[in-house]
Amino acid sequence: MFLTRSEYDRGVNTFSPEGRLFQGDSFIAFTNRVSVEYAIEAIKLGSTTVGIRTSAGVVLGVEQRVQSPLLESSSIEKIMEIDRHLGCAMSGLTADARTMIDHARVTSQNHAFTYDEKIKVESVTQAVCDLALRFGESVHDEDAMMSRPFGVALLIAGVDEKGPQLFHTDPSGTFTRYEAKAIGSGSEAAQSELQDKWHSQLSLKDAQIIALRVLKQVMEEKLDHHNVQIAQVTPANGFEVLDQTQLKEIIDQM
Amino acid sequence: MAQTRSFNPYTENGGTILAISGQDFSVIAGDTRQSEGYSIQTRYAPKVFRLTDRAVLAVNGFAADGNMFVKKVKQRLEWYKHAHSKDMPLKAIARLIQTMLYAKRFFPYYVYNILGGIEEDGTGAVYSFDPVGSYEREACRAAGAAQSLVQPFLDNQIYFKNQVAAPGTTHPAHLPLPDVLSIVIDSFTSATERHIEVGDGLEVYIVLAKGRDLQDFEAIRARNVHLTQELTVTEDGERIFVMRLDLKKD
Repeated sequence: MFLTRSEYDRGVNTFSPEGRLFQGDSFIAFTNRVSVEYAIEAIKLGSTTVGIRTSAGVVLGVEQRVQSPLLESSSIEKIMEIDRHLGCAMSGLTADARTMIDHARVTSQNHAFTYDEKIKVESVTQAVCDLALRFGESVHDEDAMMSRPFGVALLIAGVDEKGPQLFHTDPSGTFTRYEAKAIGSGSEAAQSELQDKWHSQLSLKDAQIIALRVLKQVMEEKLDHHNVQIAQVTPANGFEVLDQTQLKEIIDQM
Repeated sequence: MAQTRSFNPYTENGGTILAISGQDFSVIAGDTRQSEGYSIQTRYAPKVFRLTDRAVLAVNGFAADGNMFVKKVKQRLEWYKHAHSKDMPLKAIARLIQTMLYAKRFFPYYVYNILGGIEEDGTGAVYSFDPVGSYEREACRAAGAAQSLVQPFLDNQIYFKNQVAAPGTTHPAHLPLPDVLSIVIDSFTSATERHIEVGDGLEVYIVLAKGRDLQDFEAIRARNVHLTQELTVTEDGERIFVMRLDLKKD
């Protein structure tokens, strides 16, 4: 499949004239070199996930595709707690996210243990991104690395001394802070909708409704309290996943 | 006859440290004599160190361990600043010192630490530690060779132990800065008189919270112009001064 090798395929860390970064020399690494880019493409196949920051807190919303009527929708977990003040929503290969969230949880607990303070949202995001590029082939006695990049993007929401914040991470290990961000299959339409609807005076309630409206627009199925999940992080209550009653209430207000 | 040999890695280098916190300031002091037995190794070995714009650490006990410990704490503060793009808050430094000390639970740093400075909420604070990391936030603490001489004096003057307030009045929770400075200096001149390991010089670090009225301190500073050096002025107004005074050298 990747048999058209050019002179820029050689060298472990070589930029091509177009400014693209290739990694690796062997056939495996040769496929890996583009796999970060493909991993980013893979996210676009994942279910749609949105995050909206307001001054009162951050709202996360995910679509839970229920492929079968026999499937228990509550067993699809796409929003997870990192710490009391940190939450995370994902899109892509959600199994990969477990490794990252595990790392984020340990990092957050270690920070609290060592410094007697909550870790900052940006710091925990950085810690997760530090994992992203540890794939490929390990050198001599180095620890074994992962065989491929993470195939998942995260929206990390949290509240710290700088107030409510939302970060986006992708498989390349890049992270960016957003006021509102959509990832996954419907992300293009969802993102432009967020751009229209977001303003700095949004209340938490507004953000919940906008999150659901945006999801509704890009979802194939009819949105109800079984196929979406909403979570929020607020200064007062920290991370919480809204239960079905709360969810129904917001759906009714849409 | 059987001979026993043992490796003794620790020395006690004398000296005393002391810290008192006020409402919006903290004072951390230490003498500068370093001794071993009846010999003075040096008359100027600082035991008090500025860590950040709002934290000062005093270390007393085995000088080599103390210097190494301060070096390692400073390194950790630097790493923290790069990782989290801010100075480590005082209470975080206190917890860090605990974890660093306890990490060497079975080959401890032979030192007593006293950390002073300004908390995130702007209040003056003092944290004291034992050599393996047990710590507590207090209003005042003395440690080192003359601890047994100075601490009872502080208990009486700062905590008003064995004092009865005049009828209809209560003891103040915090003393003003000029009173605290007088108590610190008196503590050290007295300890110098009665303890052979205390003397030579005195370094008094004064950490002032941002936005604090400087009138009371400026008066003291004016009387001691040549003795007082300003170490830090931050953009948001925290200030650290050090006063260097002489103690008797006999």
